[in-house]
Amino acid sequence: MSENNKAVVDIDRSVYDIKDVENEQDFYRMEDGFTEEIVRKISEEKHDPEWMKQFRLDSLKLYNELEMPDWGPDTDELDMNLISSYVRSKSDMKGKWEDVPEDIKNTFERLGIPEAERESLAGVGAQYDSELVYHNVKDEVADQGVVYTDMESALTGEYSEMVHEYFMKLVPPTDHKFAALHGAVWSGGSFVYVPKGVKVDIPLQSYFRLNAAGAGQFEHTLIIVDEGADLHFIEGCSAPKYNVANLHAGCVELFVKKGARLRYSTIENWSKNMYNLNTKRALVEEGARMEWVSGSFGSHTSYLYPMTILKGDHSTMEYTGITFAGKGQNLDTGAKVVHQGKYTSSLISTKSISKSGGIGTYRSSVIINKEAKHAKTSVSCDSLMLDSISRADTIPGMDIRTNDADVGHEAKIGRISDEAVFYLMSRGLSESDARAMIVSGFANPVSKELPLEYAVEMNNLIKLEMSGG
Amino acid sequence: MDLNMKVNHLPALTYRFLKSNDSQIDVKDLYIENTKTPEPESVPSNVNVKADATEADVKALFSGDNAKIKEKLVNLPGPNGDTAHLNDAQTVRTGMGVEIDKLMAEMNVPVTVITASEGSKVEEPVVIRYSLKDGECALGSQVIHAKKDSEITVIMEYSSEENAKGFLGIQTRLLAEEGAKINLVKVQMLSESIVHFDDIGGVCDDKADIDTIGMQLGALNTWGGCRITLLGRKSKFDNHTGYLCRHKQTYDMNYVADQIGQKTDSNMVFRGVLLDEATKIFRGTLDFKSGSAGSVGDEQEDTLLLSPDVINRTMPMILCQEEDVDGRHGATIGQLGDDTLFYMQSRGIGEEEAKRLMIRARMESIARMIPDEGLIVRIQQYIRTIL
Amino acid sequence: MSEQSLLKVQNLSASVEDLPILHDINLEIRPGETHVLMGPNGAGKSTLGYTLMGNPHYKVTNGSIMFDGQDLTNESADKRAKAGMFLSFQNPLEVPGISLGSFIRNAYHEQTGKPVKLLQYKKQLGEAMDLLTMDGEYADRDLNVGFSGGEKKKAEILQMLMLKPKLAILDETDSGLDVDAVRTVSKGIQEYQKQKDGALLIITHSTKILEALHVDYTHVLVKGHIVTTGDGSLVDEINERGFEKYIRCEGCDGCNQIQ
Repeated sequence: MSENNKAVVDIDRSVYDIKDVENEQDFYRMEDGFTEEIVRKISEEKHDPEWMKQFRLDSLKLYNELEMPDWGPDTDELDMNLISSYVRSKSDMKGKWEDVPEDIKNTFERLGIPEAERESLAGVGAQYDSELVYHNVKDEVADQGVVYTDMESALTGEYSEMVHEYFMKLVPPTDHKFAALHGAVWSGGSFVYVPKGVKVDIPLQSYFRLNAAGAGQFEHTLIIVDEGADLHFIEGCSAPKYNVANLHAGCVELFVKKGARLRYSTIENWSKNMYNLNTKRALVEEGARMEWVSGSFGSHTSYLYPMTILKGDHSTMEYTGITFAGKGQNLDTGAKVVHQGKYTSSLISTKSISKSGGIGTYRSSVIINKEAKHAKTSVSCDSLMLDSISRADTIPGMDIRTNDADVGHEAKIGRISDEAVFYLMSRGLSESDARAMIVSGFANPVSKELPLEYAVEMNNLIKLEMSGG
Repeated sequence: MDLNMKVNHLPALTYRFLKSNDSQIDVKDLYIENTKTPEPESVPSNVNVKADATEADVKALFSGDNAKIKEKLVNLPGPNGDTAHLNDAQTVRTGMGVEIDKLMAEMNVPVTVITASEGSKVEEPVVIRYSLKDGECALGSQVIHAKKDSEITVIMEYSSEENAKGFLGIQTRLLAEEGAKINLVKVQMLSESIVHFDDIGGVCDDKADIDTIGMQLGALNTWGGCRITLLGRKSKFDNHTGYLCRHKQTYDMNYVADQIGQKTDSNMVFRGVLLDEATKIFRGTLDFKSGSAGSVGDEQEDTLLLSPDVINRTMPMILCQEEDVDGRHGATIGQLGDDTLFYMQSRGIGEEEAKRLMIRARMESIARMIPDEGLIVRIQQYIRTIL
Repeated sequence: MSEQSLLKVQNLSASVEDLPILHDINLEIRPGETHVLMGPNGAGKSTLGYTLMGNPHYKVTNGSIMFDGQDLTNESADKRAKAGMFLSFQNPLEVPGISLGSFIRNAYHEQTGKPVKLLQYKKQLGEAMDLLTMDGEYADRDLNVGFSGGEKKKAEILQMLMLKPKLAILDETDSGLDVDAVRTVSKGIQEYQKQKDGALLIITHSTKILEALHVDYTHVLVKGHIVTTGDGSLVDEINERGFEKYIRCEGCDGCNQIQ
């Protein structure tokens, strides 16, 4: 590797890696572990309504009863007794960027967050550890009746009934162990409501930053796109690297009403000590459309399978994802879809890249229920192996309960062809540049789905992974 | 006795709600009276048949290859949810797994070893015919051993008296030495009240070749497993399965190609039809182990669903720990396509007849690969009768 | 015009996925007549062929299709085939596991309801294949699997000769064929005309296949409308000058030719 290349690597990584020292005067940190006492304390800290306090306690009980999944990546090194469920800055959430505390502001400035807002976003939320530190929506969007606020405000404010009606109804705490944990200790996240017929032209964005070592982030995102409305929501995540495990067990619930469309894009770049056990689910009504764009680059271990329930007739979903598993990473990602309505269609297209001992697993399930007549599904997953010390596994599952369905599935695994490298080298590229170019080309179907600045970020991450190692 | 065992383990576990990580065989009050493999109808010269081998003999036969497999499988992490350890105790890894070994041991089932002598090309197939009487319950175990540079074809045909009740469980293990080729054909035309399993495991040395053809046309519940270890360089595994499930029949299968040697080649084709309230679970895995550079693998599944009440589960997996490989899987599942139907109709063939024609075509496309004209005719007759 | 018409299409309009393709088509074919349907790419020629044969993708939105005294407008394709209609496909179906010979036998049996006399059938099949210079082994090969483009077209004509329809619609049967193959296919079509007094609707955008055939009527289809009908000489005219003068201006629905 050239010196020049190396310098780029160091600078880029450092942007994500700068840690802020969290001193006791400015930060409140819950003791480690997950006990009833701790859950009660969180509930008190957050001034929960009574139902939420009970919800948390019931969820904790479930968490203690449910077993760890036996099928995914190893989580033996994740010691739940060493994770702090709640860390917050003693400053309140701000509506003005200038009011955000200096050190936190610096972190986000370095990541380019407010800049992005000024340029191309309709609204921005920024979460630092367990709480939102900043939330703002452009006036013209707010004037359309679009609500974009932090979950805590939503829980007690004008939309409290709506939150009560929808909160963890799509991902109930009974779903799996970490959904139960989320129900018990959730904190932060965003609430979005787009009224009937409103089309939000430019994206809303949330950015999650987990700064505290050994902490967990459990933000809850609840988005309701009402009939005929249209929204693009982007989430970004990052954290500095620590030598202790951090845990992210967020939950995203998306309700896409009749004739509406929601696009949910994620570029996940958690640091490589993160256990990312995130749950995302969308309920799609008649004629509505759900689009997922998902890039997984960071984390030590990931379990991530956004699920779509195509409930209404003629509802559709499209999932486009890429996963890059590098050294020390075990990224188990994919998608789930359930066809319930008639004439529903799903299209899943994923790319995964494994390198330097990384383990990349594509895992999915496609279920077509008996009622889902004329359902159509097409799955295509491509894996690229960049060396012989890594793993790339493809584990799809399908359960088809009607004959009146059209099911296509394709999976491929392979390597960068020598001919392709030779061709590019014959045009003057170095071997490493040629390989990087081929990998970028492989990822292109995903990057072209992203807004430009995120596509650029993704390509930088690919370059970083290709030259690092 | 009661049978109560978990078989057909998916090589890497996945979501529990898909209910496909393994399969449970539950049979009550089974009285196994027959554990002898029927004598082959004719034994060509160059072929030796030993009817009463023990599991210790089989272990000795495979010990050389088992040592090599151990040596080659370096200690790298397996896939998430790896189930390999569950079947570590097997003499030869089979599709259905260690429980079948245990059952055969418990029932003291003698092993019939069919050996093709070195360099021999056996022209005539060795035919083993199981023909179950009403109420008969049988187990059987065979080893087919093709010595260096030999080629042997074994055809096993399972049939029964009409409406017979009963049980038939078979395990067949294959050893193809360097340059050898084993062709194994299994055709199942049992009555619809019979519970059946058929378990295959095999190992290929350098340039060896295992070619299996399976047709599942009858029985009530069928479990089928096949696991071939491509240990040697340039070894090859070809499989063609055709199945037809109707009424409340179930077919639960687990096919695995473990590709260990360099430049190995696996090719698996599954073509089936589900009617009425039939259920099928397909598990198919290409497992490219570290060191299998230059290997290729292809799995193609094509399922025709002809009733709104069928259940079709499909778990097509590719596991990979080697850069220089090319693996593919494709599945097409659905009813008769509009274009197909329109073409048939434009020639005056109505919808019902078009369906029958397509069922026969699918089965025929597999059946015709069988090197036994008489058997092909019996298959055609069997299909015509049940349609 | 004394003879009874075989096919009578009246005011036929059809659409694909709610997109109207054919507008108010009127067409009459009597037994033994050879009609040619020409037109530029995208005019709707194949759509007309499919609609006549009853492809469910094409919805009849208006008008009727009478054939041999029956109203077939809403009948399925197999009923139309049994009534004596045949369509030669541009891209015929491939079926692994069923041979060409046995497929034709099945179709023959379904259409006539009579058992097939095997010896006589084999003799006829052999003769027809000879005429089309098809190797006899094709009868045992899987239907269209691994056939070249030319072999597929010949296999369609073979089916036409064996099934002996009253009206054969040939959809671009000559496209993608070399000169020799066109000649062979043309020979097959002449044989059909000869032995059965069969009517033909030949859909084509080139004229090579028509050279050796007698043509009674030529229709020109542009943007879903039959814009003109003439006798066999129209073929030569189009061969020389193309469709230029028949092409309608965008959005025009009424005026005739632009000179």
